[in-house]
Order: sequence, then C-alpha cells, then structure tokens
Amino acid sequence: MDADLEETLGTQAHAQGTPMSGSTIVTDLVGVLTTASSLFIVATGLTLVFGALRLINIAHGSFYMYGAFLATTLVARVPHVGFWVALVVSPLVVALLGIAVEVLVLRRLYRREHLTQLLATFALLLIFADVALRLWGKGVRGISPPSAVQGSFAVGGAAVPRYDVVILAVAVAVGVGLWFLLTRTRLGWRIRAVVDDPELLSASGTNVPLILTGVFALGAFLAGLSGVVIAPQQAVQPGMDAQIIVAAFIVAVIGGLGSIVGAAVGSLVIGIVQTLGAVWAPSWASTFMYVLMILVLAVRPWGLFGTPER
Amino acid sequence: MTVSNGLPSGASTVERAPDLTSAAPTARSRPWLQALVPVALVAVMAVLGLVLQADPLLTLDEVLALVVFATATNLLLGGGGLVSFGQAVFYGVGAYTVALGWLHWQLGFWVTFFLAPFVGAALAIPIGLVALRARRLYFALSTLAFSELANQLAESRYDFTKGANGVFGPFVPSSLTDPVGGYFFLLAVTVVSLLLMWKVHHSPFGLVLRSIRENRERMQALGVNVYRHQLVVFVVSGFFCSLAGAMFVVYSQSAYPELLDWTTSGAPVFMSVIGGMGVFLGPAVGAFIYQFGHDELVRYVDDWQLVLGGVLLLIVMFWPDGLLGTYARARWGSRRRRGARDEEDADA
Repeated sequence: MDADLEETLGTQAHAQGTPMSGSTIVTDLVGVLTTASSLFIVATGLTLVFGALRLINIAHGSFYMYGAFLATTLVARVPHVGFWVALVVSPLVVALLGIAVEVLVLRRLYRREHLTQLLATFALLLIFADVALRLWGKGVRGISPPSAVQGSFAVGGAAVPRYDVVILAVAVAVGVGLWFLLTRTRLGWRIRAVVDDPELLSASGTNVPLILTGVFALGAFLAGLSGVVIAPQQAVQPGMDAQIIVAAFIVAVIGGLGSIVGAAVGSLVIGIVQTLGAVWAPSWASTFMYVLMILVLAVRPWGLFGTPER
Repeated sequence: MTVSNGLPSGASTVERAPDLTSAAPTARSRPWLQALVPVALVAVMAVLGLVLQADPLLTLDEVLALVVFATATNLLLGGGGLVSFGQAVFYGVGAYTVALGWLHWQLGFWVTFFLAPFVGAALAIPIGLVALRARRLYFALSTLAFSELANQLAESRYDFTKGANGVFGPFVPSSLTDPVGGYFFLLAVTVVSLLLMWKVHHSPFGLVLRSIRENRERMQALGVNVYRHQLVVFVVSGFFCSLAGAMFVVYSQSAYPELLDWTTSGAPVFMSVIGGMGVFLGPAVGAFIYQFGHDELVRYVDDWQLVLGGVLLLIVMFWPDGLLGTYARARWGSRRRRGARDEEDADA
C-alpha cells in the first residue's frame, strides 16, 4: 500500500520530465505537483499525530507558521546559506516547541474526551498567534529561494522553477522516510501499536509516553519543515496558521485521518483541484475543494484510506 | 467597570444551577423559586436598559445575540454531545437573510427577521443529514467544512453577496436603531428564545438526547432512533443560531463573510466551555464573560487572543465543568456525600 505513494509521486515526477504536448500541460503538471507536495508535508504531520494519538492538533497550523517565520529570521541573519540552515534548524526548534506542548498540556488530556483536546489545541493556536505577532509583527515577510535553486529550466517549452523541484524532493523524502520508519523499523511498529493497545505495549516494555511525545514532536517537525519549504513561495504573515490548518484538514480528511498514503492521495487530489480550478474556474476552485471534502465525509466519513472510528 | 454589572446577574443564576440539571429533586418541590431567579435576572437587564448609556448598551446588545448563539450551540454540545464547528453557518445565514432580503427583494426588516430562523432551520436539514453521518471528531470536521464552504461561497459569489466587503445598509427600522428600543427588542427576543430552548432542554426529547450522549449503544438497543433525534436537535439549534444572526444585524446593520467562518463557529463553543456546558445557563454566562472580557481587554492590551487562549486552556485543563458547572457541582457535592465525588475530581 505504501508503495503506491512512492509510485504515485514517482510516475508523476517522471511524467513531468517527459512532456506530452505543449508547454501548458507541463506547467499545469508542475503546478499540481508543487501544490500537492507542499500540502502533503503539512497534512502528513497532522495525520501522523492523529494516527498515533487520536488527536486533532489545530495548533499544527501554528507550528507551520513558526517554521516559516523562523525561516525568514534565519535567512535575514545568516548570509548566503541562511535557507539551508533554516531547513534544518527551524523544524528542530518547532519540534522542541511541540515537545513542550505535549508534555505540559496534551499529556494531561489524553484520557479526556475529544472536545477537550480539540479546544486545548485551539486555545494554543490563539496563544501562539498572538505570541507570533509580538515576535515578528504584523507585516508581510518573504524570502527568495536560495541562489543555487533560483531561476528555472526549460522542459518541453515550459519554464519549470528550480525551486519546485526542491519542494517535490522534500515531499518525496518525507514520504519515503515515513514509510520506512513506520513499516520497516521496530520503532515504527511500536508507533502503530500505540493506538491499538497502549496497555499491552507498555507491559511489553515500551515507554509509551515517550513514543507519544516523539510522534507529536515529529508531527511538529514536519509542520515546521513545511513552513520553511513554503516560505519562498508565499507571503509569510499572521493568519497563515488558520489558513493552512483548513487546507491540511481537507487533505487529511479526504485521504483518511491517520493514513500517510491517504495524505499523499488527498494532497494530489487537492493539488489537481486547486491548480486546474485556478485555470478553468477560478472563482469556484476552493468551493469545489470544500464540496469534495463534504462528499467524502458523507460517503466515507473516515476518508478514502482511513479506518472507521471505534 | 461594566463587568461588575454583568457579573452579579451571572452569580445569581448560580444559585439555581443545581436545580437546572435534569435530575435535581429540589426543582420539583420549589417551582416558584426556580422561576424567581430568571425573573429577577430579566428585571436587572431591563433596569440596565433604562440607566445605561448607548455605548455599554451596544455591548449588551452584542452579548444578547451571543447568549442566544451560545445557548443554541450548547443544545448540541452539552445536550447532545455533538461538537459542531459549523454553527456559524446558521449565524451568518441569519444575518444574510435580513441583509440580502433587503438588497435583492426589498423585503422589510420584520419579514426577514422572522424568516431568518426558518431559513436556518431549513438549511440545517441537509447539513445535518450529511454531517450527522459522521461521529465525534469527524462530525466536528464535517461541520467545519460546511462553515468554510459557506464562508467561501459568501466571498466568491460577489453578485449575490457583495463578496468580502459584505452588505451594509439601512435595513433596520428606526425604532430599533434607537439604542434603548433596539436593546429592549433584543432582550425580549432573548428571553423568549431562552424559554423555548429551556423547554426543549427539559422535554422528554431533551432527556433522550442526553441519554444518547451518555450511552448511545444502550439507547439504540432501547429502540431510540439516534440519527433522527440528533437531526431534530441540529435543526432546532440551527433555528436559534440563525435567529441570533438576525439579532446581530439589529445592532451591526451588516452581514459579512467572517460571520460564517469556522473561527466564528468556535466562539459559542468557547462561551459554553467557559460558562459550563452541563448547565443550561452556562453558555449565557460564558457569553457575558467573553464579550465583556473582550471589550474591556482590547482597551488595554493588544493580545486579546492570548488572554482568551490562556483562559480557555486553563479552564479546559483544570476546570472542565466551566464556571457554573464547577459551582453547581460544589453545591451538589456539599448537599450530598462528598467523598466519592472529590476523589473523582482528584483523579480527573
């Protein structure tokens, strides 16, 4: 099943290299893949956390925003290699923030109802939003792609931005890395076992709280990473937290919360809808996105690749 | 400080809070006492309407609309255990019904104002049919999707809704744009709405609903149609949320897309949590605290969200029953045997 993910992303990447006809197809395809890639990195963190903790983390949007803001700061402070430093450092800082959130707040709420956790992370979103205002101000920030990947190259008459390839590469790396972690390592087995039977897992010698903290930190890391990756493409500003969380929800819900493959498929679907919609029916593109999510929820409330809630 | 005007009324409702839980035996034995506090409360609100200046009255107007909005949302939340992040759909639709009725069809205010809740209820049927297929988190996400869809439609269908700017206009009659007149109108609507919702809450239907929240499987085994019960309460909630949206128009004279946003949907949930979801008047108290807290705080600090988030986080973590709920529970506990409950608290 996880091979699907690689294959989907792989064949699409291949198709990008071999143009079919005309430059618009290439441009559209690159648009789809870039959008899908950046959505995948955000949504996969959200879905990973849900898979292990059965928790919808609204503050995921904050982690994403902090990743982007930290990137703008690092690019301004560190000459030349700022972006590459940010690509490593920002997600790590955000992951530390995630650890703090998990240990100080969420850990105390696992036994309570879903609403409690949902509201707690919503409260955190509000808090982080105002703290970000204090730290970075109201202004719009932006960074340009690092010099090594600026500009574009020609494929079948279309100009493909070099930076789009970076986004795609990061998404593939994240997808393959998660697939390897979850299915090919003992740690991954434990992560998947946490949801099914934490007691048994704990009795058989696994430090369950540590696993939960670790998964949450990894989710935060991915949110931070997506923030950095998206920073050269979008305006970095307050409000991007609430904005991305809705997009990430749509992707994760369509694919099925808890499923990494689902996140990949969901982001491709949304990537297609957004990119092609923007070309053919600009004013209806996002409407269609929500309708799609509602349709999926109506027919399969647990999403395309998810499992029904007990 | 205006806060102190709001709080004693809140504190006095606390007196009857335990009686409001469905199982309270004392409520039956002293019905006149039960009626006393709400009557006193309304009297206090009426006096406030006569003595206050236009500015604080405007805040009270906002509070009244939010009281209806939050109480209606809590019919789902506290009554049915249904966490909806989409009640703003109905709130916004209520406001837009008045605004667009005036804009496109030159409908008078009174027509649209009384039409608004029915439009909301009608809209709640298809939304409920779809959203209630999902449970718990998925229900919350479904309703959130509807909220975003509505928000998005209002922004993009410029010809019909005037887009992101919203609709502003003189669609409220002058008798209501007068601060005192408007306030008393909203107060009357609020009182009637709360009475009706209280009826729903205390009906056999409300009891079945709370039983479904407590044990869905058992109610299903007893032959209760869970889906239908939840759909009915969803429609009732939609009705009153839309009414609250129409009330919003009375003092704001506008309707705009943010009213439909999922963050707007979050507000009544916050109010319910702050005041206490388990008590009928909890959301109303929460609405008072929320709005006055907001209005007072924004005067002094920029970080309103930070304070709101902080308060919410603390309540969720340490005071999950909310203000009224915690108080009701304490009184409840002192009347009965304390030990077992306190241990439970310590565990939670």
